[in-house]
Amino acid sequence: MDKKSKMKKILHHENTPMLLVLFGIVVVIVILEGTIVRGGTFSQVAFIKGSNIANVLVQISVTGIMAIGMTMVMISGGMDLSCGQMVSFAGCLLAHLVVKTEWATVPAVIAVIVVCVLFQMAMGIIISRTKLEPFIVSLGFMSIYQGLSYLITQGREITMGDQLGFIKNMKISFGENRFYLGMSVMLLIALTIIMWLILKYSKYGRWVYAVGGNESAAYLAGIPVKKFKVALYGFNGLFISIATLTLLARVGAGSPPMGSGKEIDVIAAVVVGGTALAGGKGNMWGTFIGVLLLGSISNALNILGVSPYYQYIMKGLLILVSIYIGYIGGKKKTAR
Amino acid sequence: MSKKIVYELEDISKSYPGVKVFEHLNLDVEEGEIHCLCGENGAGKSTLIKILSGAHAPNSGTIRFEGKRLTNLNPRQAMEMGVQTIYQEHNLFMDLSVTENMFCGNEIVKGSVIDRREMKRQAKAVLQILHSDIDPDETVSSLASGAQKMVEIARGLIQNAKVLILDEPTASFSKKEIEHLLACLKDLAAKGMSIVYISHHLEEVFEIADRITVIRDGQKICTKPKVEFTEQGLISEMVGRDVSMFYNRERTVIGEILFEAKDITGNGVKKCSITARAGEIVGIYGMVGSGRTEFAEVLFGEKKKEKGEIFIKGSKVQIKSPKDAIHRKMCFITEDRQGTGLFLNHALDKNIPIAKYTLQTGALALPAQDTKLALEYISSLGIVTPGVEQNVVNLSGGNQQKVVLAKWFATKGDIFIFDEPTRGVDIGAKEEIYKLMVKLLKAKKTIIMISSDMLELIAMSDRALVMRKGNLVATVEKEELREEVLLQYSIGGNEING
Repeated sequence: MDKKSKMKKILHHENTPMLLVLFGIVVVIVILEGTIVRGGTFSQVAFIKGSNIANVLVQISVTGIMAIGMTMVMISGGMDLSCGQMVSFAGCLLAHLVVKTEWATVPAVIAVIVVCVLFQMAMGIIISRTKLEPFIVSLGFMSIYQGLSYLITQGREITMGDQLGFIKNMKISFGENRFYLGMSVMLLIALTIIMWLILKYSKYGRWVYAVGGNESAAYLAGIPVKKFKVALYGFNGLFISIATLTLLARVGAGSPPMGSGKEIDVIAAVVVGGTALAGGKGNMWGTFIGVLLLGSISNALNILGVSPYYQYIMKGLLILVSIYIGYIGGKKKTAR
Repeated sequence: MSKKIVYELEDISKSYPGVKVFEHLNLDVEEGEIHCLCGENGAGKSTLIKILSGAHAPNSGTIRFEGKRLTNLNPRQAMEMGVQTIYQEHNLFMDLSVTENMFCGNEIVKGSVIDRREMKRQAKAVLQILHSDIDPDETVSSLASGAQKMVEIARGLIQNAKVLILDEPTASFSKKEIEHLLACLKDLAAKGMSIVYISHHLEEVFEIADRITVIRDGQKICTKPKVEFTEQGLISEMVGRDVSMFYNRERTVIGEILFEAKDITGNGVKKCSITARAGEIVGIYGMVGSGRTEFAEVLFGEKKKEKGEIFIKGSKVQIKSPKDAIHRKMCFITEDRQGTGLFLNHALDKNIPIAKYTLQTGALALPAQDTKLALEYISSLGIVTPGVEQNVVNLSGGNQQKVVLAKWFATKGDIFIFDEPTRGVDIGAKEEIYKLMVKLLKAKKTIIMISSDMLELIAMSDRALVMRKGNLVATVEKEELREEVLLQYSIGGNEING
C-alpha cells in the first residue's frame, strides 16, 4: 500500500512528464543514430559515449547556470530579457580589464561580478518600485548592455591569454571512457543543488513562490516584496556573471555577440522545465531537465548529420510540445 | 388566476463526474413574475442558472420555453429566444463604450457600415427605461460597479428579453444602487418580463419577490409565494435547521486595552481613533466608500499613515509595513480573500504557513513541518479538503476563508482585524467562523470587525464605530446597537456631533 502511494507520488510529480520526454528523446536518438548513421552497430553509437555526454554537459553549462537565476526570477513573476546581452557586456568588460588595462585576474573578476549584480539590482529597483512590465524594462536594459559591449570593445574581439585557465583546466576525469566533469559543469550541478535546496527548504524559497503567486497577498503576509525582488534580480546578476566566466574561459575572447540570443535559450529551458510565465510555479530540477533537453537535441542533430538550420525548428517544436504538456497537466490538476 | 408559464424545467437531473448536483428538479417561471432562488452556497443555484441560460446541458429532463420543448439548448439559442442571463461577475469589455458593449455581437448596420447613431439612440432609450443617467459614450471601465451592472442589464434588454436571470447582482452595490436596481426590476416585471433573481441578501429577496424557490443540496424544497414566508422561516428552509440561536453570540470577559490608535490620518481617512480591549469585538460600520477598509489598511501598515499614533499594550509602536504589524502580533483578514488573502494556485500547506515564516528568524523551512501545520489547522478549523496538497482555488468559499484564518492563527497574533469576515460564505460556514471568533476572544485576543452585514455587526460587536466619508462619526455602545441607529449615523440624514 505504501509502495503504491509512493509510486503514485512519483508519477504525479511535476517533473515526471518532461523527464519521460527527455528519456524518450534519448532513446529515439540512439535508435536513429544506431540504424541510420552506424548501420546497426549500436556499440558504435556516439551519442551516449562518455566523451559526448561530457561534451553536451560543457555546452549546456552556460545556459544552465543562467537558467538558475532566471528560474527564480520567473517563479517570482519577473522576467529578464537582458541576460544574454549582459553576458556579452560582462565578457567584454572582463576581457578589456584584463587585456587592455592589465588588471590582475582576481580583482577584474570580482569587479565584473559586482557590476553584474549592481546592474541587475538597479533593474530590480525599477521593476519593483514602478508598475512597469519586467519584460519591457529588461528589454531596455538589453539594448543598453549591447551598446556598452560595443563601446568597450569598439566592435572588435578582445583575445585573452590564459588568465581564466584555472576554470578551463580544472576537471575531474573518470577512467577510460573519457567522461569528465569540467569546472563549468561542476558549477552548474553545485549551483543547481544549492538553489534547489534554498527554493525547497528555506523561507526565502517560499517567498519566491508567494511573490509570484499573489503579490498583494505576499505583501500582506509580511514579505518585504520590493526588497526581495531587488535581491532576486541581484542573484540573477550573480549567476549571469558566473556563466560569463565559464563561457569566457572556454572561448578565450570577449566579443559583443558572445551572449546574443542566450536569453532565448535560457527562457526556453526554464519554460520547458515547467516554470509558469505568470509566476508562482516551477522548480530547479525542472529547469535542469529543460536545459538538458534543449542541449541534447542540438548535439543529436549534429551527430545525425542534420543541417544545423533545422535545430531552430526542432527547438521551437520542443518548446511548443512541452508547454502543451504543462497545459494538460495544469488542466488535470484543477479538474481533480 | 394561474398565469402563463414562460420557462419550465421538468424532472431535471444534472451530475458532473463524481458529483450529483440535481435530481428530479422542477421549476417554472411565470410571465411577469419575480422569482427568487434561495439556497446556501453549493446548494446548486449557479448550476441551475447555467442550465437555464443554456451554458450547461442537463443529463436528463425536459426544458420548455413558451410551451415548446427544447433539446440541445446553447447560450446563443437561449439569448435569441429571449433568455438573458447576467452573471455574478462582470462580463463587459472594459475598454469599450457603453453603447459598444450593449451591441457587441449584434451591431446595427446600415449597408455594411455600423450605424453608430442608431445604436446610441437605442442605448439611450433602454437606459431611460432603467431610469439610469449613464452616458452611452462613457467607457465602461470608468463607471462604478453598480453602473456597470446596469449596462449589463441594459445589454440584456436591448436584445429581446422575455426572461431576465440575475445571479447575485448586488454583490458590490451601495444601498442606493440596490434600491435603484430593485425598483427597475419591479418596473420590468410589471411590464410583463419574467425575472429570476438570486441573492444572498434576504432583505432584497423579501423586497422584490413574487415567489420564492428554496433549493437545498440539489433538491427543490419548495416554491411558495413570498407572503407565505417569514425571514426566519426562509432561513430554516434553506439550512434545514433552526437558526434562532444563530445570531446569539456567547459573551466573554472584557480585559485590558490591547490596541489603541489615535487620530489616524492618511489613505483617505481623517483623524480616526479606535481602542480595542482583550475579549471584545469592536465593529466598524459604514457604507461602501466610507473609509472602513482604508482605515484598516493604515492600521496594518499596508498603506501609509500621514499622522497619528498607535499603541499596543500601552506602548507606542511604529507600524510602517504589514511586516511590522505582524511582528506586533496583528492579523488582517482582508475582504477580498482571493485577491489579497490567498495564493489560489498553491496548495493548502503552502498557504497556511506563509505569514508564520515572517516571524521566523531562521531560514529553514521544511515541507514536512508545513504539512504538519496544515493538517493541524485542517482538523482544528474543520477545513473540508481532499488533502493538504490541494490547491486552494478548488475549495469552496467558506473553506477558503478558513484557510485565510489558519494562515493568521499560525502567527499566534493577538489583534485581529476582520474585514467582511463572512462575505460570500454560506450560512453554515458563517456560524463556524463566528464560533472561531468567539474562541479568539476567550483566549484574551481582540477583534476589530468591519462588516456591511448589519445583522452580523449587531450580533457580534460589543461596540461599534460608524464611519462616513473617511471620518469617524459615532461610537455606538452595545445597548444602542440597532439597525436604524447605524443607518442614521452612516447615511447621515442629519448632522451628528463629533
